[in-house]
Amino acid sequence: MAKVQVLNVAVLDNPSPFGNPFQFEITFECMEDLPEDLEWKIIYVGSAESEEYDQVLDSVLVGPVPAGRHMFVFQADAPNTGLIPESDAVGVTVVLITCTYRGQEFIRIGYYVNNEYTDPELRENPPVKPNYTQLQRNILASNPRVTRFHINWEATLDKMEDSENVDPAPNTMLPPTSMPSKAPPLGLMPDNSMDCL
Amino acid sequence: MKLLKPSWVNHNGKPIFSVDIHPDGTKFATGGQGEDSGKVVIWNMAPVLREEDEKNENIPKLLCQMDNHLACVNCVRWSNNGLYLASGGDDKLVMVWKRAAFIGPSTVFGSSSKLANVEQWRCVMILRNHTGDVMDVAWSPHDVWLASCSVDNTIVIWNARKFPEIVMTLKGHTGLVKGLTWDPVGKYIASQADDHSLKVWRTMDWQMETNITKPFSECGGTTHVLRLSWSPDGQYLVSAHAMNNSGPTAQIIERDGWKTNMDFVGHRKAVTVVKFNPKIFKKKQKNGSTPKPSCPYCCCAVGSKDRSLSVWLTSLKRPLVVIHDLFDKSIMDITWTLNGLGLLVCSMDGTVAFLDFSQDELGDPLNEEEKNAIHQNIYGKSLAITMESHLSSTIIENPEMLKYQQERQGNQNPNGAQGSGPENQTPKLTNVLNGESLEDIRKNLLKKQVETRTADGRRRITPLCIAQLDTGGPAAVNSIGMKSNLLLTSASKMEPMKALDSRFTERSKATPGVTSVPLTIGITPLDRVKDSSSVKEPKVKDETSSDSEDKIMAKPLSMAKRKGEMEGAEVVEKRKKGRPRKDAKMMMPISQPFPQVTFLLWKTTVSKSTNRACSDLQLIIKTRTKIHKTTDAIAYLEVENEVSVVSGARLSQLKWSRDGREWDTLLTSRITIATGSSDIVAVACEDRTLSVFTTCGRRLIPSIMLPAPLAALHCSGHFVMVLMASATLSVWDVQKQTALVKNESLNPILSGTDATVSQSFLTQQGVAVVSLSNGKTYCFNSSLETWNLIADKQDSLVQCADFRNCLTSQDALGSMGPLALTQGRNLSAGRLASRLSSTPHHLQQGMTLAFLENQLSSALMLLSASEYRHWLLIYARFLVNEGYEMRLRELCQDLLGPVHKSSSSSWEPTVLGLRKRDLLTEVLPVIGQNLRFQRLFTEYQDQLELLRLK
Repeated sequence: MAKVQVLNVAVLDNPSPFGNPFQFEITFECMEDLPEDLEWKIIYVGSAESEEYDQVLDSVLVGPVPAGRHMFVFQADAPNTGLIPESDAVGVTVVLITCTYRGQEFIRIGYYVNNEYTDPELRENPPVKPNYTQLQRNILASNPRVTRFHINWEATLDKMEDSENVDPAPNTMLPPTSMPSKAPPLGLMPDNSMDCL
Repeated sequence: MKLLKPSWVNHNGKPIFSVDIHPDGTKFATGGQGEDSGKVVIWNMAPVLREEDEKNENIPKLLCQMDNHLACVNCVRWSNNGLYLASGGDDKLVMVWKRAAFIGPSTVFGSSSKLANVEQWRCVMILRNHTGDVMDVAWSPHDVWLASCSVDNTIVIWNARKFPEIVMTLKGHTGLVKGLTWDPVGKYIASQADDHSLKVWRTMDWQMETNITKPFSECGGTTHVLRLSWSPDGQYLVSAHAMNNSGPTAQIIERDGWKTNMDFVGHRKAVTVVKFNPKIFKKKQKNGSTPKPSCPYCCCAVGSKDRSLSVWLTSLKRPLVVIHDLFDKSIMDITWTLNGLGLLVCSMDGTVAFLDFSQDELGDPLNEEEKNAIHQNIYGKSLAITMESHLSSTIIENPEMLKYQQERQGNQNPNGAQGSGPENQTPKLTNVLNGESLEDIRKNLLKKQVETRTADGRRRITPLCIAQLDTGGPAAVNSIGMKSNLLLTSASKMEPMKALDSRFTERSKATPGVTSVPLTIGITPLDRVKDSSSVKEPKVKDETSSDSEDKIMAKPLSMAKRKGEMEGAEVVEKRKKGRPRKDAKMMMPISQPFPQVTFLLWKTTVSKSTNRACSDLQLIIKTRTKIHKTTDAIAYLEVENEVSVVSGARLSQLKWSRDGREWDTLLTSRITIATGSSDIVAVACEDRTLSVFTTCGRRLIPSIMLPAPLAALHCSGHFVMVLMASATLSVWDVQKQTALVKNESLNPILSGTDATVSQSFLTQQGVAVVSLSNGKTYCFNSSLETWNLIADKQDSLVQCADFRNCLTSQDALGSMGPLALTQGRNLSAGRLASRLSSTPHHLQQGMTLAFLENQLSSALMLLSASEYRHWLLIYARFLVNEGYEMRLRELCQDLLGPVHKSSSSSWEPTVLGLRKRDLLTEVLPVIGQNLRFQRLFTEYQDQLELLRLK
């Protein structure tokens, strides 16, 4: 079970001009004291077409995190307009907030973002080259999309025994020397070996 | 009977594996499969019970849902006190849930369902130990333990008052363990497994009581669960899936002798779950009919893979009701309401059904008092759980009493420190928030929060802690509601979202640090480090283990010391039989409970008829004895006979050494026994003389002429005890030069038996103790001039006395002293008692009482103060637990003594050097734990206070 639960994310300064920094007020709860920091990232999706245009706006370490409920404001600069394909500047895109612990992502919160000209004139006849100063960013704060991933919260050594929490990907990538010599990974066992009916 | 299938109770069509109604009857929990995880849901009971509540939209149906289990939840169970919910699932975990105070309705952040969680239940403990799916969990009576069973073939008993401590892992099943049930009396726990067996385990020593296989030998195929159940009167245990004549049954197992003569027959497929109604019923008296006494009976519901449910009364030969085709798939779990009239059943098909019975159908449920009376009848005691609920209505009159009661409750409450009483939490919360409202904090959070740069230049934010774990003011969640009213419409804009949607769930590959390859790289070095450290660790361990070996070496010594004379003497005797050869030099590392060592050089049997000294011995000539005083100072006593011959007389030498200091002295006769204590050294010679020296080698008294050859010689402190071959005993105090025991004959204890003296010793207080070969041990009381029996190995009282629940954790270590020595290790509380489960409780109670009183008086007789105190406290606890008011009063009175001094009073303020009133101060908190004695408590508390002020 995840040791950290995100209770709420409040989108501050929204809607706002395109050039304003992003501000998210994040409230999370932690089951027990975490020996290591959490790493939060804000990722701006420049284009729906390709991940190539993703920009990590900022990443920040959060810690120390004792057991309890905590909040902080994560502020990150607006995306670099030079990296956004001109055709995708106006319209709907996505901003992602991710959190990783010990290098493993365990939660991903996504918001739709609508970039629109406030001026009806510009809205009707948008310039070919986006005029970022006139763009307004509008985050659909009421509809966050939250994806949680099971990760291993314990120290890396426990990872082997504690297969239920392990993300299979890094596990299989481990060099054979660090694989435990005993028993095959439990993860290979069927979830429920019982004949239920 | 009314039948209802509340369609709104579902897991979106996914199977429901378990259902349990909260003890207060207001809600119930279901467990099963969620979307991509296990799911636990807490539902409101009211809409199930009443149609108008079901229709009222203001009454919530779903109270809380928890998706924390990673895989299917197989079992949910409320603790008896209703504070906790335990759930076990395929993710091998047991989670314990508790309702979080002060948190109002909230949604799960980002969850698609807009249903708010009306109640907040959060996981307070994750119990990890099982290596396979957890199939069943069960709280013991009083919520002392939580048991969980798993497909890893084990049952784990968790200490519910100190999670995640494991009390015991029960191993023995050779197949998947799929059901658990506690005996309502608390003596046993039963488990049923796929290995065609049902096992009953004792809670006393966690050993297997019985293994029942016969009714299950024919069982073929598997069922998902095997939920068995114990009847509320404790007399019957009913299994799930059993076979009789190749037909599926639920086997009835009688507590008395674990007989398996009866079963519930009729289901067409395997029985998956059996659940007894918590109530005991009696026949409903019809109007007009003469009230005739009828036998109380139990009620039991049986669910099967054949999708049907049957309800049985133990007074009827046929089922009360059978309901077919209630579900589309196998029945998985059954739970009764506490009043015994309602029944919830859940099925693999993802639905639940509610059955509502009337009293006409089931009978009159006995009230708690009547139920208690039945328990009292069968087991001699009412179950404390009902007692406690009974007592909870008692008003606490005394503040001190309240304190002890609260302490006790505090101890009982797991995670008591985190208890979420409103009084505790509110100040904490305001503390955290420093009196600021959350809104204020939020306004300035960005400015206020501490941001630093790490060494590598990264931003690091210290989050603001707004609440301790498991608290959180209502403001915390309610005010952070998502208030933004933003709408995204326009269909054209929705189009690119499909492409975007995948981005929400897929971990971005372009994001550095999140990609799998860098991740692996990131992890590998870490692993290496761990590896190397794990290589180092064993080395460290080696060192520590060698260290601990030393400790172990040291331990047996001190252990042997404690174990005492009994073993010590045996060692001595064995040595004797070996008859060491002439001139052999012997080193005897004998450790003894008291700073004394006796080294017998020959065997002398003391019996009433013996008069001869066994002089058939080969004389030992040189020997050396270790006298342990303390661990740091070891004294050696060395005897060398025939050291030199001077003009025909043979001289013997006695050598004493400790810490480099040593002395020696010469005696004219051959030394037969030498022994020493921390104060003196005593030596007996062949010519029947006894010499006593100080530890500096100065002769204390001229040789004492003994009336008969010596059989045993002991020293302790400045006391010397001699046991003559003529079966007489003397004890002298060589410091005061007085005789404590003068040539006392052992005839009173030896006559009429063939017993011989097997062992003897002297306590530090100078009390002579003699053990006979028939297992009896006596001490001689010099003021009464009587032999007193202090221990008897054959004593059935010792073996049947059961005072375990009066032992505190410190007491469990046992007491050290002469009494413990004589009784040895065979004194483990109620060892036999467990086997005598059929012994009526009142008999065992009586035996325990008698035993404890014996112990108390024996400790007194042996002048063993620490043991006296030890047994006094156990005795007091026993009296309190079992409710012996008269004896308790007498005990308190004796300890308190007269409040007003009067010359006529013969009351002694001390006993064995312990101040009686100090003892009373220790006993009072024990009394304070039972509300029934609050008057008594107050009475003595006040008087003690009065005396203290004087």
